[in-house]
Formats: sequence, structure tokens, C-alpha cells
Amino acid sequence: MSHYLILIGNAALTLFIVMNWGLIMGGLIRKIVGRVHGRYGPPIWQPYIDIIKTLGKRTSVIHGTMFFLGPVFRLAGGIGTLMFIPVLYESSIFANFSFSGDILLVMYFIFFGQLGMALGAGESGHPHSPLAVGRGLAQMTAFEVPFALSVISLAMQYGTLSITGIVAAQQGGILNWTLFTNPLATIAALIALQGMNMHSPFDIVLAPQEIPIGPPTEYQSTFLGLLQTNRAIFTGAKLVLFMNLFLGGSSVGAGGFMN
Amino acid sequence: MVNPIYLFVAALGGAFLIGPADKVNKNLSFWLTVMIVGVMAWISGSWFHFIEKGGESAQVFTAGLRPPVSINLMLGYKEAFILVLSNVAGLLGIFALRKRFMELPAYAMMLYVAMLTGVNGIVMTRDIFNLFVFIEINSIATYALIALEPSRKALSAGFKYMIAGGIASILFLLGTIYIYRLGGTLNIDQLAMLGIADMGKAGWLAAFLLFSSILIELKPFPANGWALDVYQSAHGGVLALISSANAGAMFYALYKVMPILGDQFLGLLAVVGLVTFFFSNLLGTRQHNFKRLLGYSSVGQIGLMMGVYALLTKLGMEQARILIITGAIFVNHFLAKAGLFWMAETIEGEDLTAWGVLRRNPEKLFSFGILLFSLAGFPPFPMFWAKWNIVMGLAEHGSYVALATILLGSMFEIFMLLRWLGVAAKTKTEKESADHYGLEISSRIFMLALIVIGLRASGFFIVNSFNMNTYMLPASAVAMTPLIAGAFIYLIDWLGVKIKAVLTIVLTGVYLYFIIPAVLPLPMLFTAVFGLGGIIIAFASMYRKINVRGFYPLLTMLILSLVNITIANSTLEFFTAWEFMTLSSYLLLMQGKNAQEHALRYVMFSMGAAFLIMTGFAVLYANTGVTDFASLLLGRYPFRWSFILIGLGMLVKMGGIGFHVWLPGAYAEADDDVSTFFSAILSKAAVYGLLLAILVYTINYRGGFDLRSVLGWIGALTAIFGALMAVFQEDIKRLLAYSSMSQLGYIVLALAMADHLGWTAALYITVLHVMFKGMLFLAVAGIVHATGTRLMYRMGGLIKKMPLSFISVLIAIIAVSGVPPLAGFGAKWMLYTGLIQRGWYLRAGIAFFSSAVAFLYLFRLIHSMFLGQLKVEHREVKEASPWLIAPQFALLIGIMVVSMFPTILLKPLSAILPDSIPGQLAWQEGTLLSNLGYWNGSAVMWVTMGVFMLVLLWLILWLRQVKKVGQFNIVYAAEKPFIPETTHYAYNFFPYYQKALGGLIKPRATSFWNGVSEWTASTAGAIRQIYTGNAQTYAMQIFLYIIVLYFIVGVGL
Repeated sequence: MSHYLILIGNAALTLFIVMNWGLIMGGLIRKIVGRVHGRYGPPIWQPYIDIIKTLGKRTSVIHGTMFFLGPVFRLAGGIGTLMFIPVLYESSIFANFSFSGDILLVMYFIFFGQLGMALGAGESGHPHSPLAVGRGLAQMTAFEVPFALSVISLAMQYGTLSITGIVAAQQGGILNWTLFTNPLATIAALIALQGMNMHSPFDIVLAPQEIPIGPPTEYQSTFLGLLQTNRAIFTGAKLVLFMNLFLGGSSVGAGGFMN
Repeated sequence: MVNPIYLFVAALGGAFLIGPADKVNKNLSFWLTVMIVGVMAWISGSWFHFIEKGGESAQVFTAGLRPPVSINLMLGYKEAFILVLSNVAGLLGIFALRKRFMELPAYAMMLYVAMLTGVNGIVMTRDIFNLFVFIEINSIATYALIALEPSRKALSAGFKYMIAGGIASILFLLGTIYIYRLGGTLNIDQLAMLGIADMGKAGWLAAFLLFSSILIELKPFPANGWALDVYQSAHGGVLALISSANAGAMFYALYKVMPILGDQFLGLLAVVGLVTFFFSNLLGTRQHNFKRLLGYSSVGQIGLMMGVYALLTKLGMEQARILIITGAIFVNHFLAKAGLFWMAETIEGEDLTAWGVLRRNPEKLFSFGILLFSLAGFPPFPMFWAKWNIVMGLAEHGSYVALATILLGSMFEIFMLLRWLGVAAKTKTEKESADHYGLEISSRIFMLALIVIGLRASGFFIVNSFNMNTYMLPASAVAMTPLIAGAFIYLIDWLGVKIKAVLTIVLTGVYLYFIIPAVLPLPMLFTAVFGLGGIIIAFASMYRKINVRGFYPLLTMLILSLVNITIANSTLEFFTAWEFMTLSSYLLLMQGKNAQEHALRYVMFSMGAAFLIMTGFAVLYANTGVTDFASLLLGRYPFRWSFILIGLGMLVKMGGIGFHVWLPGAYAEADDDVSTFFSAILSKAAVYGLLLAILVYTINYRGGFDLRSVLGWIGALTAIFGALMAVFQEDIKRLLAYSSMSQLGYIVLALAMADHLGWTAALYITVLHVMFKGMLFLAVAGIVHATGTRLMYRMGGLIKKMPLSFISVLIAIIAVSGVPPLAGFGAKWMLYTGLIQRGWYLRAGIAFFSSAVAFLYLFRLIHSMFLGQLKVEHREVKEASPWLIAPQFALLIGIMVVSMFPTILLKPLSAILPDSIPGQLAWQEGTLLSNLGYWNGSAVMWVTMGVFMLVLLWLILWLRQVKKVGQFNIVYAAEKPFIPETTHYAYNFFPYYQKALGGLIKPRATSFWNGVSEWTASTAGAIRQIYTGNAQTYAMQIFLYIIVLYFIVGVGL
């Protein structure tokens, strides 16, 4: 029993760190984008402010049960994805629940939140939501193929589908990273990651000019807060995954002081 | 015993009395005729009975002298068999013709008796000139009877018949003269010993003349235009006898004189017969006049009989087997054709659509169906067993061209007949069918006779070739169970829906109870899928409000035939059950409202598949002599071609890429619970077949080009194209149909791997597919029932009205999509791991792509129906019937349990796999290990549920004031929409995707198959131009035909 409690405690720690990291990274990117646009840009902690503000709204409008569950699916999907990825190499504290499955599990679990969210947004009855979901799904089929092929090439290269195994195979110097040993797979996955995160030029799903903000159009207050939290965690999880697959993984050094 | 000579005495003596009796009273003469023919039937019947019980055949020497001085008659088993059939047909024919006889003068009845006398004489006589005399008696009476019909057409048809018969007579006489000159005798038995055909050119010519004369009477293609015109225009009662008794007698005449001609003509006869069979059926496919269609069919069947008899004799098959095969075709053709002609006369009009009157007369439709199915060669009718033996025999002797000709001809025949059935069952007409008691009763009696003889034939063939004795029931009972159970429920079809449903469930349950103990573990999985799946569908079908006749009988038959497929130990057992399955599923599909065209397409593809499978079995048998599965599984048999044929058949049946064109229509147009059965359960029959084929192939594989690799590609392409096509459907059932196709593609891909992981994946997907497609189709059944439409964009917002259906669909689509934590992910994990392990990288990539595409159609499906805006007309919609919901939730629980504890399904699946499939599954407690990775389904489930609950709890605790808003209360560009149709985004959901990838899925396969059918139709249309309807042309054709035959075979001499 205590074994499980330790696992859960460790996972909570990982979650906390990744969430904050994700939020700060989000703020930083907004700042950078602002500067590039020639604006001053929001403060780095703007994501925190946004979340606190949306969580603080008094009234929440809901359209039905599935609508209610949509953000739950979304956030659970984000957290779950993280939970199946070992964050630090050779660290049992940051291994999360990665014993549940290999990279295939993570690749498929990514859809969990998206599917639930899409359904929730659908129930709002807002035509923009399914419109954007449709585009998102279409885009997903497009980035899934290069990403899958890239993962298959890793499996060929390293003879394993286990994320820990893939990281282990890249140890021993920067030139052992997939980035250098298999640059084509890295490039393919990098482009796929752009699509996955809906960054320009793959931001048609959010269609900033055309339809307000895509699937979450109808979500406000606490629901939006959940979605914003998820954006930080989910992006963080995907970055960790990318690190693990292509950039040698984040390791704690030879001694492994956090073991 | 009565001396057979009394057959003539009764006929001739009686016929003279008909005239005087007619002067007294019309009824008196009629009953006198009945009596005469009755006596004839009784004499031949008693002889048949006597000889069958071991009595001696009768030899009659007229005038008390021996041949060659006198004429002798012979009444043996074969003769008695033909005569009893002919005379009984003659007896029934009188009643069928009663109306006409009462209108016509007495000579009509006299002619009728004369015609039958001719038949009796042709069959019995052993004298060649006497044969000529009886042929003439028969022919002249027949001309006159044809021309009695009061129409110009009939008159001219009779005339054409006379011309053709005249030419034949001239040839016959010339031949006889030569033969007598050379042989010095006219006795057939004595001539047979002389070897006339070998006596130089004159002998050969004599034989040729005799041969071609009888051949003309047997209506060979293309010199048979006159016969078709006869079939088109004479009275059905007369035609019934022309096509059965007359044709049978002429065939027997040919059979009798063949020994005189020697073996030289066998090859020619085989070619002539098979060409006739092939082309008659081909041309018949274009026919709309039903009597003429029957004519084509008659000509074709006689051609088949000639061809098969000659070919098998030439190939050296033992005579007894040939006689059984030919006899089976003969009796099948005889009863069916006579029955159909009698029935045809009760229909007013000429066009097939006139048969629409049967739609409101289920009993008559039933007999019509029986007659047609027997002709089409479905079990249990003799034709089925004959065809099986023919195919096996031809393969054994390597005669594959003939085999292909027969099977292709049969395909045309099936098309011709079942298109007709479709028209009869589906054409709406206001006409009432008129009463024709005589015709009706006669055709019913022959229909019943067909069933009885069919069952007896089945018993004979089963006892001689089945291997089912390992079960607690006798082999013939097991093989016929689907039919018997179906018939039993048919008899109580007047009962209510629920009683019959319960009976179906009970019957299936009892049967499973008897069968299961003897089934091997691997097939048992499929036994369970079919049996339990069938029970679930039978349960769900209780939602039906309307008691559709025939539904439960067919459903029972279908379920039990599927079960029988899994318990078959030999190829014939498998094939018999397979054909029962084809038949019952076709008929179930036909019950769909707009299913006529789709059912026809379905049955054509199914029969194509069945013929491929049968040929595969035949090739196997020919190469190894093996028919039982047990020896096959021991290995060391050449299996390549057999595998290709069987595999192809299974792929057709499954709707693999290229052969999938039948699938959407069939799934969409079947009744909703039937669609469920088709998709969730029936499709697994082909999976089972493919699995067996791959298993045997794997065992026997000894290097070389590996066909499993090709199969893997087919599976991957089926998966991706099925998914892509599903994306663009507006019709929910078509969408699910393509989705099924895609899922079956995964199964094929996984099976093709032929290793332990791949096969576990295949079986796992199979079981899951039963569950989630069952749920989806049942949910859709409820929704279609409630909303009255299958078009998704016409629905919307139904989640509020049908929450239970929504839950079922939600769980099902998550399972289909393979998103963890539900069970579908296990399938994906095993599939991809297996593919990557095996090095099938590109196929793995395609599988990835197709399961990504699956998200598109799955979201579209659930969104368009349940989410978005509720339509005004659906505001009063209620949740689906509990009969539909309950099975869905049973399956849902199943999916949840498997998701939670994947081991309880995976471990048994892995355990039942045969050892000959290489590899093992490695387990570490709950974690499934592969060479590449690992997966623990339970852990995934726990983590996901934990996280989900946590977030949910947080949300619930955090939310303070929740305001529920109504429909249309959305942030929509500063206006409030109020029309659901314009607000619900559902129609043409993925237009950009269509632009991007739509080009990949242009209906190429459909165009191809349409092209095939169009070219076939055009070819048939072009060829049948030779039938000008002009008597001179026909005469010319006959002459040319004989001359051509002469040059073909005679030149070398």
C-alpha cells in the first residue's frame, strides 16, 4: 500500500514541477512573441493570472453533462500523458507510472483528452466547435503519420519501444542523441510536434481570424481554467517526450543524486 | 408385376376412348385421361419400387421373338426412375392443364397422352428405329400441343419446333439407314458391341448423323433458337412436360445410343454441353420474359447434364459416381423446372415484374424460392451435392477449364434466378394473383418432392462423405440442423415475435450445449462468438413491433449454420454449412425494405466467394486426396494454390479491398438488427475461414515466396481505404459498414503475421469487434427507429433524449479508436508491436494512419447524432427500446471488464492458439512483454481512472454556481440562432479532407465491377442477336451447326 502512496506522491511532485515549468514557459513564449511583434508583451507570470482569474469567476454556464466532462477529460488526458512518461532518466522519483506501457501507450493516450474535449465542445451546440474539431482531427491524421514513422524508425534503430530504453540507448555523449544519429526522424517528429501543439503554420485549428478560439469557444470560468492548466501540463509532457526520444532525455548525471 | 407393355396399352387403348367419352361429358373424358396416366404412373411406380427393392429389371420381347427380329423393351432401374418421374409429372400436368383441356376439344387430351406415350417409349425401347418412331410420336404430339395455345406466337413456335424436329428426323433416319447397312441390326445392345463408329468413314458418318440428330433435339447452343421461342410462347402446363419429361427422355436416348457411337463423341459432347450451359445462362441474365428465362435455364441444365456426363466419362470417373451426379442434376432439374413452369402459368403477363403478386402471397413465394434455390444449387438440394462432386472430380483430373466454365456458368445462372426472386419479392403491384388450383397444387407437390428428395440426397451424401460422428448427434442430423431448426420455427411462424425470439435463443442454447463438448479450443472461440452473438441479436430483435414472416426461421438457420462452420471436420461439411449461411443471410438481407439490388449484389459476391473456396478445396483434394481438416493440420501438403483460392474467397466474403463493393449496400439496407448480425458476427465466418487457411498454409510453408506478406498488404490497404471511405459517409449505417471493413483489415493484417502475438491480436480484435460493433449497430438501430432516418445530419443533439444510447456509443467508439484505457488499445499495441517486430514497418505506418483516420469518422458519428443542436422534429424522441439497450449494456460491461483486466481475455486467447504458430506471449504479472516494449492494461486503467476522478472531484468542489442554459444559448457572433438545421454542423463534415485525400477513394472497385457486369450484359446482348425469331434462320443455324461440328471433329479422319 505504502508503495502506491509513494508512487502517487512522486507523481504529484512531477506534476507540480511540470505544471509550473509549463506555465512559465507559456508566459515566456508569449513574452517573446510579443517582443517579436514589437509589443511589450505580457508579464511572464501572465498564465498564472489568467488561471486564477478564470477560476475565480462566480457563475459557470453549462450545456449538459458531456459539456461538463469535456475539460475533465482534457485535463485528465494531459496529466495522464505525463504520468506515463518517465521524466528523468534513471530516477525512480520521476519515473511516474511509466511501467504501465511503452511509447505506443503514450502516443495513444495523447488522444484521450482530445477526444473527451471534442465531445464536450460538441455538446455546446456551437457550430464553431465541431468545425474546429474536424480541422484538428484532420491535422492530427497528418502529423500522426510522420510521428509514427519516426517512432517506428526509433524502434528499428534502438530495438525497443520503451521510452526508458530509448533514452538509455542515447546515453554517453551528445553525439549519441537521436538528433544526430537519426536526424531525419527528428526533423519529421519536430514538424509533427509543431502540428501537435498547433503552432504556426499549423494553427488553422484555432483559426484566430475566423472563428474565436476553436473547440473551447463555449468554455468559460472554471472550465477554461482547467483547459489553461492543461495546456501547460500537456505541452510540458510532450516536450519531455520529445526530449526523451530525440535529445538524449533529461538525466540527473552519472551519480543520480535524486535516486 | 404388370408387364411394362401395358404402359403403351393403357395409353393407346385409353386414348381411343377419350374421344367417345368427350361426346358424353367433358368431365368424363378429363377423368378418363387422369385414369390413363394414373395407370401409367402406377405401373412405372410399382416397377421402380420393385427394382429398388432388389427385383429384376423387366425385358419385354415383342411378338415373342428375340432381337434383331423383334423389338425389345427394357425397364431397369434408370428407366423406371425416369418413367416414374415423367408419368407422375404427366399426371400432375393434367390437373395443371385442366382449364385448357376443358376449353379445348378432346384431341388435346389425346395428344397429351400421345406425348407421354412417346416419352415412355423413348426411354424403354432398345431398338434404334423404334426409338425414332417414339421420338416422332412424342414430337408430333408436342408440336400440336404447343400450337394449341391461341396465339400467333405459339403457332409459329410450334412450326419452328416442327422444322427443327424435321431436320433431326432426317438426320436420324439417314444415320439409322447407314448403321443398319453396316451393322445388320437395329438393336442397340447388339450395335453397341459392333463399334460402328470405327468402321471407316461410313461408320463414323453414320454415328455422327445419329449423334447430331439427338443433339439437335437436346437444344445445343447456338442452334436452339427454336426451342427458346417454344419456351416463350407455349402453355406452362405443356412446357412443364417439355422441359422435364421430354428433355429427360431425349437425354436418356442420347445416353442409350452413346455406346453405339463409342468414345469418339464424348469430347465433342462435353464441349457442346458445357458451351450450352455457359451461354444459355449468360444470355439468360438479360432476359425479362420469365418463360423465356426458364427456357434458357432448361437448355442450360440439359447442357450441363450432357457436358458433365460426357466429360466425366471421358476423364474415366467410375460409372456409378457419374450416374449419381447426372441423376442428381436430372432429378433436380426435372422437379424444379416442371414446378416453375406450372407456377409461371399462374402469373399473368410476360415480364418478370408480373411476379410481384407473390409479394403478398408468402406461401407461394416460399415454394417459388425453394424451386429457385434448388436450381441455383444450394443445399440441401441434389444439385448442390452434384456440383460439389463435379468440382471435386474435375479437379481430380486436372480439368480446370471445364471447372471454371461450369462455375462461371453457375454464377450467371444464380444471377438470373435470384434477380428474378428479388423482383418477385420486392416489386409492388396492385394485381391479385388469380386462382389456378391445378397449377398451384402441381407445382407445390413438386416443390415438396424436391425438399424430400433433397433431404434424402443429403442423407446419402452426408453418410458417404461426412465425418461428424464425434458429436453426440449423428452426422446427417448435425449437418441439417440449421435447416431443420429453421423449418421448425417456420412452422410456428404465426406466433408472436417474443415467443419466436425466445425459441431461437433456446434452440441455439440447446444446440451449443450438445456441440460444445466436442469442439476444439480454437474453433470453440468462434462457436461461442456465433452462438452467443446470435443469442444477443435474437434478444435484441424483440424490439421489433412488426412480426415479419420468415425472420426468425432464417435467423435460427443463420446462427446454427455459423455454428456448424466451426464444428466442421472436413471440407464438405464446412462448405455445406457455408452455403446454408450464404442462403439464410441472403434471405435475411432481402427482408430489408430497399434491399433488392444490394441483396443481389451480396449474394453474387458471396457465391463467387463460395465457388472460390470450393475450388480451393477441390485443388487441395486433387493434389493430396485430403478432405479432412485433421490431416491437413499435420502438414506436408502442397497448399499454395489452394491457399490463394480459399484466401481470396474469404477476402471477398469479408469485403476486402477491391471486393468490398457489396458491403456498404448490404449493411445499410438490411434491417437494423440484421445489419448488426452481419457486421458484428457474420463477418467473423470469413475470419475463421481465413484463419484456418493461414494455419494450414503456415504449417505447410516450406520457403519460397511468402503469400502471407501479400495478405498483410491486403489487410493494411483494406484498413486504410475502409477508414477513408467511412469518413465521407452521410448515412450512419454505411459509415459503420466501412468502419467494419477497416477493422476487418486489421484482423487480416494481424492474421497475416502468423505468429503468436499477431494471432492473439487478431483474435482479440475479433472478440472486441463483436462487442463494439454490436453496440454501435444496436444503438444505431434504436436511433434509426426513433428518428426515422439514417442520415446523420438529419439528427443532432440526441444526447438529451437518448442518454443510454449515447453512453453505449461513447464507450464503443473509444474502444474502436484504440484510445487507452479501454480495451481497444490492447489491440493496437499488439498489432503495432507485432508489425514492428516482424519488420513490416510500412504496413505498421499504414495501420497507424488508418487508425488516425478512424478518429475522423468516429467523432463525426457521435457528434452528428448526439451532440450539436437537437432538431425540432426530434424533441419528442424517446430512449430506445430496452430490448436494444440491454444487450448494448451487456456488451458494454464486457468491454469494461476486458479493459480493466485484459488478462482474462488475452490469456485464454493465447492459450488456444495452436503450437504450430510460432512464438509465445511473455507475461510479468499483469504486464504483457514483447521484444520491444510492454503494456499493462490494468495499470493504465487505474492511473487513468485515478487522474480522471481527481480532476472531476476538483471541478465539482470548485464550481459554485452552475447555470444550465437551453438550446441555442451560445456565443454566436452577436446573434441568437434559432434554426437547428443551420446551426448544427454536420453535413459534409470534412470537405477539406475530401479535397486532400478524396482522390484516393474514387470508386475504382465499384467502377471495375460495374464494368464487369456491363460487359457481361453487353456480351450477352450481342450474342443473343443470333436469335432472330425467323424459322428459316433457325433452320439455317441448325444446318450450319452440324456442318461446323462435322468439320471440327470429322476432318482428321
